[in-house]
Amino acid sequence: MSDGDGNGFDPKSASYLDSIEVIEVQRGPNPGGVGGAYRAFGETLRGLKTTMARLIEGPLTIEYPEEKTPVYPRFRGRHKLHKFEDSGLEKCVGCSLCAAACPADCIRVVAAENIPGDRVSAGERYAAVYEINLSRCIFCGYCEIACPFDAITMGHDYEMADYDRGDLIFTKEMLLAEPIERTPLKSEGE
Amino acid sequence: MSAKEVTIVVDGREVSAVEGEMLHDAARKGDVEIPVFCYEPKLGEPVGACRMCLVEIEGIPKLQTSCSTPVRDGMVVHTRTEQVKHAQNAVVEFLLVNHPLDCPVCDKGGECPLQDITMGWGPGKSRVIDEKRHFQKPIELSPLVAIDRERCILCYRCVRFSQEVSEDSQLQLLDRGDRTFVGTFDDRPYVAPFHGNITDICPVGALTSYTYRFRARPWDIEQAGSVCTLCPSQCNVSFTVRDEKVKRVITRDNHDVDDGWLCDRGRYGFEMFEAEERIAGPRLKGGAEVEWDEAIAAAAAGLRAAGGEVAAIVGDASNEEGYLVGRLLREGLGSNDVDSRQSRGFSRAAVVRLAQPDLTIKVREIDDADVILVAGTDPLHSSPILDLRVRKAIRRNGARLVVATERPTALDGGAEAIARYAPGGATHFLSELAAAVGGAENVASPLAESLRGAEKVVVIWGERIAREGDGAATALLDLADACGVAGAEGAGLLEVPDVTNARGLREAGCLPDAGPGLGAELAGGRSTEQIRAGLISGEIKSLLLFGADPLRDFPDTPAWEEALTAADHIVCFSMHENATTAKADVVFPLETHAEKDGTVTHPDGRLQRVRPSASRPGIVQSNIVILSLLAETLDLSTGIDSQPTAFAALTEAVPFYSSITEEKIGGQGIRWQETEAASTIPTPDGGALSSEPTTSATGEGLALGTYRDLWAGPITELNPPLQFLTPQQRLEISPADAARLDLKQGDVVRVGQNGSSVEAHVLIKERMSEGTVFLAEGVQGGNANALLNGGPVWVEIQKLSGVDA
Repeated sequence: MSDGDGNGFDPKSASYLDSIEVIEVQRGPNPGGVGGAYRAFGETLRGLKTTMARLIEGPLTIEYPEEKTPVYPRFRGRHKLHKFEDSGLEKCVGCSLCAAACPADCIRVVAAENIPGDRVSAGERYAAVYEINLSRCIFCGYCEIACPFDAITMGHDYEMADYDRGDLIFTKEMLLAEPIERTPLKSEGE
Repeated sequence: MSAKEVTIVVDGREVSAVEGEMLHDAARKGDVEIPVFCYEPKLGEPVGACRMCLVEIEGIPKLQTSCSTPVRDGMVVHTRTEQVKHAQNAVVEFLLVNHPLDCPVCDKGGECPLQDITMGWGPGKSRVIDEKRHFQKPIELSPLVAIDRERCILCYRCVRFSQEVSEDSQLQLLDRGDRTFVGTFDDRPYVAPFHGNITDICPVGALTSYTYRFRARPWDIEQAGSVCTLCPSQCNVSFTVRDEKVKRVITRDNHDVDDGWLCDRGRYGFEMFEAEERIAGPRLKGGAEVEWDEAIAAAAAGLRAAGGEVAAIVGDASNEEGYLVGRLLREGLGSNDVDSRQSRGFSRAAVVRLAQPDLTIKVREIDDADVILVAGTDPLHSSPILDLRVRKAIRRNGARLVVATERPTALDGGAEAIARYAPGGATHFLSELAAAVGGAENVASPLAESLRGAEKVVVIWGERIAREGDGAATALLDLADACGVAGAEGAGLLEVPDVTNARGLREAGCLPDAGPGLGAELAGGRSTEQIRAGLISGEIKSLLLFGADPLRDFPDTPAWEEALTAADHIVCFSMHENATTAKADVVFPLETHAEKDGTVTHPDGRLQRVRPSASRPGIVQSNIVILSLLAETLDLSTGIDSQPTAFAALTEAVPFYSSITEEKIGGQGIRWQETEAASTIPTPDGGALSSEPTTSATGEGLALGTYRDLWAGPITELNPPLQFLTPQQRLEISPADAARLDLKQGDVVRVGQNGSSVEAHVLIKERMSEGTVFLAEGVQGGNANALLNGGPVWVEIQKLSGVDA
């Protein structure tokens, strides 16, 4: 800070302190006394009214894991790979577009060529390796949007916790398999 | 002779261009992109087949193809008017009439010009409701390339490549109209040494390599630029790497080296990086795998125990590795016995003379040569990309070609004059030729006719002639003199060496009589042949082999067998297990050119950098690090511990490399002749080269010549996709000799000489000269090297079994 070069501003100088206007702060009444007790009781009753009103509605707690939270039909849970129902061939042709679209870079596809007589997919190529690293996935659903064959969709599963990160890499077989337990869907209007 | 500059206006921008340049290229200089399919300057003259590049030129009522319209001064061009857009939309729509929309399955997806152009210039909507044309797909065009004719847009590029670049004329457009398709006569497989290039230039997914089919998508991969070191062409390549493994090799255009092409050897020879025979860690004799420190200690102990009676032969190595091996021998072990040649080579005096900057030509200058003389080599087998370069010079620029070789070459068809000399007769023939150019009348006169008076004479000569000794260098220099090559613009010599980095190794000090920089003459050093003799006689006890496989590649296999058995201790650096590593006491793994970091020197003096692209298998380490650790264990302090320090030491030791830095090498390399330090190359000492009289001995039987086939060697044995190309040993014989010996095509014969023999199938060749037969070197089961002994060889032919007539 410059000291006294003419243009300097010194907050300690007498002329500066004189020029300050002092403003009184307005405060509420002090708590306590009869008025205070009345107000506190009133507020408690108001709170209890809400409590009583909810009490008669019954509990809303969902007893997870015995009970599962229902999800909306468009909920984006764990991915599923699909097969054609008639031919049993995989819909995925291993084009890697899902991997290209994935912002978290969690999909790995290694394609291979179909052998006539032992076809895996309907196209010329198929996914020999299809892995999703679910510990990286952000469930954005871009893979589903990118897929030209509707081979991958976001399922309704959300229970994916595990003890080992390695187990969160889902292989093609795991993604093709039906989940053991279906996640309940929300009903109409819920 | 610089071309005239003209100014044109493209989309309102003023662009200066060179007169005669195509409009498409000129527009690109002004950052205006005009879409193209068929246009590819590498293929030569434009054809204007795809009609994608239509533009509006003021003053011309109809749209013009910008790829085949040369610019004129003051031309005003519009590329984005309604009329042009309409035409572009129509062309894309027409192309998509028959192109299947199977992009998710198609291997080109993501790197497909048709996809890009459809997105950028297409109508966005299809009106086609009719059936598209159908072909059987995919089918084998060759064992390496698949063709999908439904996807083909008939741009003509692959056919033009086959007809005008590689000139094998196997690919044709068959049928007419909308039934046109690309194919070969009678659906025969398209097998040619450069055919992999068609997968690079195909703008759609019609031509795909079986080796890369469905392996990866463009977003799964990384491209890593490097240099192919499988032959002396040293083509610039780009490795496609996925999961740290090489999945594909494609070209990286460098007009000064490869012209944007790549041979199939370089393109498909990458699966051997992961072959079972690959050495993934050091081992001792008998196969015991050991840790690095133990192996280095064992190698050092063996080398030291020889007490200075040590020799080293360097084969496949970078400049730095060669330099370090040289120092290890000379300074660490006190021996001058270092060589980098497979057989007899030129002395230092001859090497220095031939290395003079005014004698060496730039590869690019071959394009503009008046006369090209190919002497003692067949570029197709020894340096394939030069074959395309010579063809280009002849086809496009009217160069004349003369060929003087022992064996018929692939270039004979385009030659104006051809001479065949007897195996081992290069010295004699070249000196005759030099005299004939000077006016004398002799056997070489027909060739001299073409060379005489020509301004830009390019001589492409094979290192093989050096096996005849310094006399060959004298003849070559005389010939250069007679043709007025020295100092002339666009004229010069270009060597085709036997090993990839021959020039770099010589200049880095891997010569028995010269250290780094070809400096002062060193005495007492033994050359490869003398090392072999020394090993047999016991004068040399220990041998260090760096990337060399004498039992396969060097002449006189029986003698080498004896030499390696006699050696007390052999340290062998090798990429793969082979007969030589089986004899070694300590085997170290070598890095491949996808793993190595180092510089190599092109035969025309261009230093290029090989860069690490893929991961090394097992516990393989950088060769430089291992060599420096070995040096340390031998109490030699080199100050080198990594590639940068090795490169710094190399440039310090080789005066004419001194102004080269890794930045200057960059992606395209730099010729040391074009740096300021070029003048520091030693000048030839006045004296004449020692020229021993050429052997004029004659023998009984037929003279044997040998050649190294493009596909002979580990390349076909270790790369499963190339296995179908593995050459058989064939005895090439003239029709007259075959008739005399009662041999028919396909007969099995035994070719013998002095106790050794090789079995071969008879191949009768019209263009062979009488009295000479040829066998291939390096082939499995019957390597012709077994019959060679350093001098002219005459063989006896014994018929084993005949084909049924």
